[in-house]
Amino acid sequence: MTKEEANGATEEEQQAQSKKALKKQQKEAEKAAKKAEKQAKLAAEQQSADEDDFAKDRYGVSAMVQSQQKPDRALVRVEDLTPQKVDQLIWLRARVHTSRAKGKQCFLVLRQQQFNVQALVAVGDRASKQMVKFAANITKESIVDVEAMVRKVEQKIESCSQQDVELHIERIFVISQAEPRLPLQLEDAVRPDGDGEEEGRATVNQDTRLDNRVIDLRLPKTTTSQAIFRLQSGVCQLFRDTLTKKGFVEIQTPKIISAASEGGANVFTVSYFKSSAYLAQSPQLYKQMCICADFDKVFCVGPVFRAEDSNTHRHLTEFVGLDIEMAFNYHYHEVIDSITDTMVQIFKGLRDNFQTEIQTVSKQFPSEPFKFLEPTLRLEYTEALAMLREAGVEMGDEDDLSTPNEKLLGRLVKEKYDTDFYVLDKYPLAVRPFYTMPDPNNPKYSNSYDMFMRGEEILSGAQRVHDPQLLTERALHHQIDLEKIKSYIDSFRYGAPPHGGGGIGLERVCMLYLGLHNVRQTSMFPRDPKRLTP
Amino acid sequence: MSMYQVKPVSPDIKIDLPTCMYKLPNIHTRQENSCSSDHALQNGDVDPAVRALEVRQDEIMRKLYELKAAVEGLAKTVTTPDADLDVTVSSSLSSQSSSCDIFKATKNLDALLGKDLGALRDIVINANPAQPPLTLLVLHNLLCQHYRVLSTVHVHSSVSSVPPQLLSCLGPKHADSYARHMFQLGFTLIWKNVPKLEMKFSVRNMCPIEGEANVARFLFKLLAPYPSDPAVATLVDSWVDTAFYQLADGSAKERAAVLRALDSALGRGPWLCGTEFSLADIACYCCLSQNGSTSATAANVQRWIKSCENLGHFGPAKLLLK
Repeated sequence: MTKEEANGATEEEQQAQSKKALKKQQKEAEKAAKKAEKQAKLAAEQQSADEDDFAKDRYGVSAMVQSQQKPDRALVRVEDLTPQKVDQLIWLRARVHTSRAKGKQCFLVLRQQQFNVQALVAVGDRASKQMVKFAANITKESIVDVEAMVRKVEQKIESCSQQDVELHIERIFVISQAEPRLPLQLEDAVRPDGDGEEEGRATVNQDTRLDNRVIDLRLPKTTTSQAIFRLQSGVCQLFRDTLTKKGFVEIQTPKIISAASEGGANVFTVSYFKSSAYLAQSPQLYKQMCICADFDKVFCVGPVFRAEDSNTHRHLTEFVGLDIEMAFNYHYHEVIDSITDTMVQIFKGLRDNFQTEIQTVSKQFPSEPFKFLEPTLRLEYTEALAMLREAGVEMGDEDDLSTPNEKLLGRLVKEKYDTDFYVLDKYPLAVRPFYTMPDPNNPKYSNSYDMFMRGEEILSGAQRVHDPQLLTERALHHQIDLEKIKSYIDSFRYGAPPHGGGGIGLERVCMLYLGLHNVRQTSMFPRDPKRLTP
Repeated sequence: MSMYQVKPVSPDIKIDLPTCMYKLPNIHTRQENSCSSDHALQNGDVDPAVRALEVRQDEIMRKLYELKAAVEGLAKTVTTPDADLDVTVSSSLSSQSSSCDIFKATKNLDALLGKDLGALRDIVINANPAQPPLTLLVLHNLLCQHYRVLSTVHVHSSVSSVPPQLLSCLGPKHADSYARHMFQLGFTLIWKNVPKLEMKFSVRNMCPIEGEANVARFLFKLLAPYPSDPAVATLVDSWVDTAFYQLADGSAKERAAVLRALDSALGRGPWLCGTEFSLADIACYCCLSQNGSTSATAANVQRWIKSCENLGHFGPAKLLLK
């Protein structure tokens, strides 16, 4: 076999090749044909879809609102959707709380702060299938603009705040889309802490909440955050109103100061041009200077900075301080009476005007309602010692109260007098700061007082020493460098009235009034040794 | 004289001056005569003779009032047994301070209330403002006469507001009330929305005492012991219970029955339990007045009511009822 054979072979090969090639070609042709078919089909569908989507311009994602136009459109608030608006075509802007598709319909719950309403997109002459699909796919928490007809419902919608009406959507546009994966789910964050553990559903722990404050604070009033902060706003408002009615003047004091006011240990230092300065631990010094300047009665509301490395449930490094200072005529009890009356007015105002908020909070964080007496109960330190000793606690006459003893005392007072708020008067002199006036009859005690809510201290106050001689003596006794407080002592040298006062922390008062367990729940963006953001 | 003299026109006319009028000395002649400071009538000064007269008159009036008061006191003593000197009478006399001889023994508080731990012993009473406890107010009054009592009234947050007489029912604030440790006993009244009146004293050692009758018994023991004769003591107790269960809370029929019983008991003696004023009298009087049935009752009961009122302890209770 030679060339002919070879030829024959190649011929065979060629023949084989061509067979293979043929087969390949055939296969490819088939594939192509199939593809073409598919595409044709898709195209056909697309076309048909396009043809059927008559509602294309009634939904979609709007362009980002960059103030392109100023349409003369009035948006209705969800809380105003009442049976009076039935059969009206309205526009509104709200968040999508939930969206659920069911065959040819999509049910949405639209939420605005604490109010929500049910909305419906149904396939019909106004909405197409694609529109329903779009509505079902809108991510939770997105903000949408909706044009809808308000319709009456026969059966009340129990799960919404607007129970008598629902919206039939004609147009829906997404104004701001939310990312599909939220860092925390609203239903989880809303669940009371105890429940979740039992049933195995998730609850959100505090750190996650604080890291995502923006979503955490959005939780509607049917749960807690808004209620807590509305109540806090109420406390501040009542504080200002009550004091203004009593003739107090509101002052603003500087927060960057040159010398630590309460003691050197717990103060933040800031660099101040070429030297350094401190952040104010309390407005003490300036309040007193205002009294010496004859303002008679002053109060101030402002931040207080304490660099205490305490990671407890009740300490923050920055909080809002509500401080009072007033001159009195003959006895510092006039000051105590004024402060306790202010507190009682605040409690009464909260009790009478913020019941819905209090109830809302207690649904997620149950606690006993806050009780108080009018006029406020005032016990003396010796009485407290007697009560504690009777209960088995051993304490010296001049010892300070430790936190567990304070709590025990709170429980004992609650048992006997049924009040969550009381004043403890005549503390021993040894445990109070140097500017506290000593008791005239017993040098072991002082004209100072603490106020407690639910067994925890909220205010520390006293009659201040207004005589520069005595002040110098007391400062020396406490081994304080006189140079550092020279300007403080000087302010009393030109005639100073007898005065006293005290300061409370807004967050702590709210926490204790509502019976919450952590002061971070009442601080919007809390600061503590481990947290600096958000 | 250089002037022209005129002869008298009418000689010898007799003028009859009226004799019923005062005769004043002639002002003009006096002026010429005086050099003495007899008359110095300047700046509204009174003639010393008149002044002396006024002083005499005041003295007589004062003596008259004293006499009147003494007579009244005597009259009351005759009608009311056991009141040598009446509180209401003594307040009108200038100098005397009456001590209530009804409760002769001053008790030792330490024996009754437990060891003094160096602090004010505070009795806390929670009462409903709809049913003010009159007996306790009367007992508070008596306690104040025996001990240094610091009385305070509070309104609990469960009650929105309380009429002003309930706020001042324990009397005016003591001048030393800023220094709690200067008092022997504290009496703290809290107006609260409670179903039944309760008293708390030492939460560790005592359970709360419920019911006005029981609290009254506790407070009374601070003033005087129960009668040593067990029969009389039981009688006192039974009258106290009758007062609170039937007089205050009972139906009209029950009340009528109690009034009849009162009448017969008071026929036997000046007070309900014999010759001594006791807790039974306080309780029955207060419950009767709360009902308003003090007016239309039998003679004995009327007499007894008058005696109670004469003692003067029921003043605060009566004020509250107005």
